[in-house]
Amino acid sequence: MNKTIEIIVAPNGQTRVETQGFVGSECRDASRFIEQALGQQTDELLKAEFHQTVSNQQQIRQGE
Amino acid sequence: MSHLVSIQTEVRDPAAIRAACDRLHLPEPVFGQTKLYSSTATGWAVRLPDWRYPIVCDVSTAQIAFDNFGGRWGEQVQLDRFFQGYAVERTKIEARKKGHSVTEQPLEDGSVKLTIQVGGAV
Repeated sequence: MNKTIEIIVAPNGQTRVETQGFVGSECRDASRFIEQALGQQTDELLKAEFHQTVSNQQQIRQGE
Repeated sequence: MSHLVSIQTEVRDPAAIRAACDRLHLPEPVFGQTKLYSSTATGWAVRLPDWRYPIVCDVSTAQIAFDNFGGRWGEQVQLDRFFQGYAVERTKIEARKKGHSVTEQPLEDGSVKLTIQVGGAV
């Protein structure tokens, strides 16, 4: 999977930075330079995508 | 694991201020002391469209000094556009410094989406 950092800049200049394709805390290191350059962090959400996928697969199996 | 971070933009880079002015077809920013209606401010002065007085960006504190008389001497939307242009240009500058490639895409709601390919050459 490609490693990307996606930044959405709203019409008022507020930004949202999202990392994709990184393993573990690597994502935080990868995007730190851009977050520090842009300003003050107001909110952070960790997305445990791997675990979510496993959980979904388990639910499907249980439903079979 | 991935993560999502929200950021309040701070204007701290003269090169990105200049790039934002260029992007928005504004006059070049000028550094110095600028007179507003009843005060003066020191920093990078930027002239926004139809604003009576410039905005003044102090990059050491990230403070923006301006007097638009509650919108009567200049529309807020012009200031918002400057913030957006600054954030876009600052992102592109920083990504390129790291050797990453960056693509820009306008969105329907007026936002701008930037995608940085980590490890991709410029």
